[in-house]
Amino acid sequence: MIKQYFLNTWSGIWTVLVGMKITFKHLFTPSVTIQYPDVKVELPERSRNRLYVNMDDCIGCDQCARACPVSCIEIETVKSVPGDEVGKTSNGKKKALWVTKFNIDFAKCCCCQLCVFPCPTECIKMTSIYEFSEFERDNLLYNFATLTPAEVDEKKDSYAKLEAEKAAQKAAAAAEPKPVAAPAPEKPKEESSNN
Amino acid sequence: MALKTEEMVLNMGPQHPSTHGVLRLELELEGELVLNVRPHLGYLHRCFEKHCEAMTYPQVIPYVDRLDYLAAMSNELTYAITCEKLMNIQVPERVEYIRVIMVELQRIASHLVALGTFGLDIGAFTPFLYCFIDREKILSLFELTCGARMLYNYIWIGGLSHDLHPDFIRLAKEFVQYFKPHVAELNNLLSYNKIFIERTANVGVLPLEAAINYNITGPSLRGSGIKWDLRKNDPYSIYDKFDFDIPVGKGTFGQVGDCWDRYFVRVVEMEQSLRIIEQALEQIPEGDVTSALPKRVKPPEGTVYARTENPKGELGFFIVSNGSLNPYRVKVKPPSFVNLTVLGELCKGCFISDVIAILGSIDIVMGEVDR
Ligand code: SF4
Ligand code: SF4
Repeated sequence: MIKQYFLNTWSGIWTVLVGMKITFKHLFTPSVTIQYPDVKVELPERSRNRLYVNMDDCIGCDQCARACPVSCIEIETVKSVPGDEVGKTSNGKKKALWVTKFNIDFAKCCCCQLCVFPCPTECIKMTSIYEFSEFERDNLLYNFATLTPAEVDEKKDSYAKLEAEKAAQKAAAAAEPKPVAAPAPEKPKEESSNN
Repeated sequence: MALKTEEMVLNMGPQHPSTHGVLRLELELEGELVLNVRPHLGYLHRCFEKHCEAMTYPQVIPYVDRLDYLAAMSNELTYAITCEKLMNIQVPERVEYIRVIMVELQRIASHLVALGTFGLDIGAFTPFLYCFIDREKILSLFELTCGARMLYNYIWIGGLSHDLHPDFIRLAKEFVQYFKPHVAELNNLLSYNKIFIERTANVGVLPLEAAINYNITGPSLRGSGIKWDLRKNDPYSIYDKFDFDIPVGKGTFGQVGDCWDRYFVRVVEMEQSLRIIEQALEQIPEGDVTSALPKRVKPPEGTVYARTENPKGELGFFIVSNGSLNPYRVKVKPPSFVNLTVLGELCKGCFISDVIAILGSIDIVMGEVDR
C-alpha cells in the first residue's frame, strides 16, 4: 500500500518533469503569434474575403444573385433602348442592360464564393480585403452600381416610353382590320382534319 | 445523528467554458455525487433541415459546413457522396485522392481540437496551445487550396471547386514530417502524465454493450474496444486502397472504455491519418477536378442515404428528391447528437468534476447537436 503511494507520487513528479522538459524546449522555438494589427499575415492568392464587382464588365445577368445561398446580392436592371450604347465588356460581349442597382449586403455574405463561379464575364471576385468592420450595420450594404439616381430615372423613363410606344403600336395594329390575319382561322381546321 | 441531506439541482451552462458551446446540463446532485444528468439542447438551433428545402443542392454546401464546423471538409464529403449516389456521378480519380487527403487532414485538425480542449477541461492548458499551433498549419493548407480557413465550400457535388495549389503537395509532405514527432510530444506531455491519467482512467466507463445500444459511433465507440470504422467496414470513396489500422481502446490504465481510452484512440487515429495522407500524396494521379461537375444539379426522383466516418462518428445524410432543383427533404444523422445521449448513463454516480472530463471525452460540437 505505502509502496504504491510513493510509486504514484514519484510517477506524478516524473511525468510532470517530462512535460516540463517539453515546455522548456518550446521556450526556445520561434513565436508563432504575430502582433496584429502592426504585423499582418500574408494571405494566399485564393483567399476569400470581401467581394469586388467590376461594373464595367457586369452584364446584369443576375446569375450571381441566383447562386447566392443567403440572397445578399440585389440586382435591378433596365433594358436599354435602341440607340442607347451601354458599352462592351472586356471580353467583347455587348451589354444590353443598364444595371440600375447592384447591392451586396456584406453583413449577410458568408464568403462562400458560390457567386463567383457562374459569372460569365468574371467580373465578381473575391479580394483579400478583410478589414471592413463597421459600427453601423447599414454601412455594410455596398452599392456597386455606377449610375447616379438621376441617370437611373432617365433610363427607366426612356424604357417606359419605349414600352408605351410599343404598346401603342400594338394597340393601333390590333385596332386596324388585318388582311394578313384573315387566313388564320383556317389553321385549326387543318389541324382538326389531320386529327 | 445523521446529517439531513437534500438533493440539489444545478445548472451547468449554457455559458460554461467546458460545455463546448451552448449546452445546458441539469445536474441532480447529492453533495458532490451526480445522480442524474439531463442535457438541454436547442440553443444553437438554426433550422438547417428545413432551410435546405429552400436551397438548391449546391447552395446547401455552405450550410453543411456549419454543422460540425470543426470538420467542415468531412461534412461536405458526406453530402457530396450522398448527392452523387442519387445522381449516379462517377468522380475522377484525382478528385477522390484530393478528397481523402483533405478529409484526413481535417480529421487530424478536429482531433487536435478535441484533445486540446479535453486537456483544457481537466486543467492542462499548455497542450491546448500546442495542439492549436499544429491545427493552424492544417488550416493554412486549406486556406491555400480554397481560400477559407474553416468553412470551405470546397468539395462539390461531382468534384471540387479548385484544383490543388501547385505548392500543396510539397507543403503537405512537409507537414506530415513536421507533425509526426508532435504526436509523441503530445503523448509525453499529456497522455502519459500521471495526473491526467488519474483524472481520466476508470472514469466514465462505457461498456461495449451500452455503446452499441446507444448507437455510439466514432472514436467513442472504438474506445470501448470494438473495431468499427466505416472506412474499413463499409468503404466509401477510395479508402480500400490505403493501408491503415483501426485503433481500439485497450484499457491501458484502467477499464476498457474509460475516458483515457476514448482520448487515446484519437491520438492513435491521428497517426493513422498521417499514414493515409502519406500514401495518398505519393499515389495522387494527374487529372481534371472539375470535369464531372454537373452543369445543373437536378437529381432524379428518389431517396438516398449515405454515411461516412467523420472525426466525431458516423455522419449520414438522407435526402428525398422530387426531381426539382431543391431537395424535398434533407435529414441528418449527426454523430455528436447521438453520442451526447449516452452522457446521462456515463455520469451516474460520478463526481461533478468528472462530468467535465466525460463530456470532453465524447467530443461533441454543438453546431451539429442542435443544427
Ligand atoms: S460569397 Fe456567397 S454569400 Fe457572399 S455574395 Fe457570394 S454567394 Fe452570396
Ligand atoms: S454574374 Fe457577373 S455579369 Fe452577371 S450580374 Fe453577376 S456580376 Fe454581373
